[in-house]
Amino acid sequence: MSTVERTHTLTDAVLAELAGIVGPANLLVSDGDVEPYARDATPLFRARPDAVVLPTDTAQVSAVLALATRAGFPVIPRGGGSNLAAMTVAERGGVVMVLTRMNQIREISSDELLAVVQPGVTTAELADAAAAKGLLYAPDPGSRTVSTVAGNVATCAGGLRGLKYGVTRNYVLGLEAVLPTGEVIRTGSRLWKDVAGYDLTRLLTGSEGTLAVITEVTVALLPMPATVGTGVAYFDSLADAGTAVARIIGLGVLPATLEFLDNRCINAVEDSNHLGLDRTAGALLLFGDDGPDTHVATSLDRMAATCDVVGARAVTRARDVVESDALMAARRCSLPALARLAPITMLEDVTVPRPLLARMVDTIDTIAAQHHVVCATFGHAGDGNLHPTIVFDPHDGDARHRAEAAFDKVFHAAMDLGGTITGEHGIGAAKRPWMAARLGEDQLALLRRVKSAFDPAGILNPGKLGS
Amino acid sequence: MSAEPSSGAAAPATTTPPPPPTDETPTRRGIFDPALLDACISCGFCLPVCPTYTLTHDERSSPRGRITLMRALETGRLDDDDPTLQEQASFCLGCRACESVCPAGVQYGHLLEQWRDHQWRGRHVPPIALAARAGVRVTPAITAAGRLRRAARQTGAARPDATAHLMLGCAERALFPTISRSVLRLLPPGVVDVPSGQGCCGALHAHNGASHEAETLAEELGRRMPGTILTTAGGCGAHLASVLGRQRVQELSEFLLAYWSEHPDAEPDLGEIRVDGRRARIGLQESCHLRNGMGVSAPARELIARVADYVELPSAGSCCGSAGTYSVLRPQDSRRVLQTHLDEVEAADLDYLVTVNVVCHRQMIGGLRRSRSRTRAIHLAELLAQAAGRSTPDTRD
Ligand SMILES: Cc1cc2nc3c(=O)[nH]c(=O)nc-3n(C[C@H](O)[C@H](O)[C@H](O)COP(=O)(O)OP(=O)(O)OC[C@H]3O[C@@H](n4cnc5c(N)ncnc54)[C@H](O)[C@@H]3O)c2cc1C
Ligand code: SF4
Ligand code: SF4
Repeated sequence: MSTVERTHTLTDAVLAELAGIVGPANLLVSDGDVEPYARDATPLFRARPDAVVLPTDTAQVSAVLALATRAGFPVIPRGGGSNLAAMTVAERGGVVMVLTRMNQIREISSDELLAVVQPGVTTAELADAAAAKGLLYAPDPGSRTVSTVAGNVATCAGGLRGLKYGVTRNYVLGLEAVLPTGEVIRTGSRLWKDVAGYDLTRLLTGSEGTLAVITEVTVALLPMPATVGTGVAYFDSLADAGTAVARIIGLGVLPATLEFLDNRCINAVEDSNHLGLDRTAGALLLFGDDGPDTHVATSLDRMAATCDVVGARAVTRARDVVESDALMAARRCSLPALARLAPITMLEDVTVPRPLLARMVDTIDTIAAQHHVVCATFGHAGDGNLHPTIVFDPHDGDARHRAEAAFDKVFHAAMDLGGTITGEHGIGAAKRPWMAARLGEDQLALLRRVKSAFDPAGILNPGKLGS
Repeated sequence: MSAEPSSGAAAPATTTPPPPPTDETPTRRGIFDPALLDACISCGFCLPVCPTYTLTHDERSSPRGRITLMRALETGRLDDDDPTLQEQASFCLGCRACESVCPAGVQYGHLLEQWRDHQWRGRHVPPIALAARAGVRVTPAITAAGRLRRAARQTGAARPDATAHLMLGCAERALFPTISRSVLRLLPPGVVDVPSGQGCCGALHAHNGASHEAETLAEELGRRMPGTILTTAGGCGAHLASVLGRQRVQELSEFLLAYWSEHPDAEPDLGEIRVDGRRARIGLQESCHLRNGMGVSAPARELIARVADYVELPSAGSCCGSAGTYSVLRPQDSRRVLQTHLDEVEAADLDYLVTVNVVCHRQMIGGLRRSRSRTRAIHLAELLAQAAGRSTPDTRD
């Protein structure tokens, strides 16, 4: 947690230069104007930046960064501000650079199966534009309506289709990016095959705005699957649901969707979305697949049968696309729906090897009980990616300490199982304390050398991702 | 996104960000209801549906950004005079689209009322907001205006045997008197009455920083019209429902659908609306308060489809920029918001655009006229009365 008051590191001369670059209307300086940019979707972290710029083209981005390197002030790139690791919080002051005004879709090519977009286009806008041409943009983070494509790249966002389709990194073909020193580079290309040079596209993917500012993204698209089918299975416990997931994957079925909610999540989601979910079930497994009609039908049959064998209380199928969409929408809003339970909602993102999912769920329950915290868990079962979420009232004595202590145990338990401290939400400022345990000192040192090769003055999102 | 591990935890720290005192349990000034303000988790799901965010792509003019500003006001991080607070409290349309998509159940409409109550006191009240509050207070003047322009004739004290009491909105009875008359033509005599001496419901006060007065007015109206109140304006309806309870208020489209399905004999013979010898193409401009405040969205579409080809406009459900008194307070922003809707109407080549709220009705009439559109704005009641062959010639306003 950190709350930092303003550092006021920018001189009047620097502010005047910034205004000259982006235009006075796109530079925010007053306390009130920068306050909305003091936080993102991460609870408990906030810090007012000294200024905010909203550039409208790559040249402005480049000029601001060159100035920052010269004058030595931090620049924090920001897209939709939906990340959950305090990645856009200006802990060390400086300038938040908002990319949401660069929001044009430049191209959707059916011939080349790709799209070229500016950084501030939202994931949903890209997916909708692709769908209008019969194409699929596969990465599907729960935050798709608010998150930006460049934000997705910078966090390597996952989503609800990870098992079959992978995550953002599998779809980024090329980037235009501005180095902290101001040079504009193009990594990758429009080609699926291109091995000229180090894979800087992948290096920038997941770099959390610490290496370069992304100003254009070229992504791969797929043909739109003919149909989508979704079903719901209810179990007595999350462990049973975990067993079902292991069996399904053991069958050699690779479904598009395998998501789960525990009892608390079911109730929170039902409170907000009113879908008639079984509030008494211990766990809900949302399974789905896409593709040709016959494939989807067989795939759903096999998954439903497996759930039955494992002892599901009930298995139902969505009747049509509308019902399917409603179920997916409900799953996407699990986190905010849980927020109804208490003022503070802390969500985690551990990932374990798939077969150990049920064991990890049990461990989380035990840890939560030991620390007397209210914990709800949902996640991407197909990816072994769990989002244990602790809700508490900050006025309730040491509730926050108990939550933090519980999560510390959860991280170590995940690592003990061969898992990781974050599957898709990233390190940012929030997960820093566990980075060395996850990566080791040698790798951390290398990471810092990479950082300084890109950013000699250390101005780009300093302090995030161990930089 | 948890924070530093608690003391004694084994995680090694790679950097040492200073953890200064938290402001999650700060002193509060009591401007906002704490439970309402705490409900937002800053997920940002509301950003894409917010018309002012869509115009600016600037967090300051997003629902989440405004809630962050409210929190800063509440905890004293920003003071009352802060220009951004003043600006954003007034730039917000109050359309509550943000509420309709918020998974955490944030009651933004109430937060906005509390914000404006505080922000628009004394010298900070926008002069036109004051005028709006005052202008609708004078019941006799409104009644007189309505009578001159022939709104539905008032029928004395509320009759206990009426299924519902038709409410004559202040602006509506003066500006668009045919709306209430059309309603009476759609129902058998006696089903609804039109009680005399109706005052203002207070909706405009609620939007303009006088929510206490707004509540009193609604309660008074509720006493004068005991039982179910039937309204032809989403704005009035949502406000009345929030004060008197949802079950006391029925909006025209939901009322007609329900009444006609329970009493099939009562449904007038609805003919087809035709233009140039073909079935008319008709779109809808929803009312934000009807949709987001009362949760009524489908019935108007269903009714239009009974009498014409219904054309769904992409922005049918989002604010047209009229927003109570907004078009008067912030005419330029109001027109920027409106433009998207006008462009869509042109692209769809509509014959009529149906409205379900009086201020939207006026906004669309003005906008369509200025853009020399061939499309006419028509209130749902007028459209249906026309289909029932019982309209008066002046419905094509
Ligand atoms: C309810 C909810 C559900 C979510 N579900 C998922 C999910 O299913 N899967 C998932 O992976 N995540 C999920 N997230 C997390 C979050 O939405 C993702 O991390 C998303 O990719 C962030 O995108 P953004 O545009 O909001 O980026 P921001 O939050 O603005 O920024 C994130 C990072 O990207 C950097 N960045 C942004 N734009 C640029 C740029 N142009 N150039 C360089 N760096 C940049 C920032 O500096 C920061 O480090 C969820 C969040 C919420 C609130
Ligand atoms: S108002 Fe609702 S949707 Fe918007 S940020 Fe807050 S919790 Fe999320
Ligand atoms: S009420 Fe409308 S304009 Fe105001 S914040 Fe909500 S969506 Fe935006």
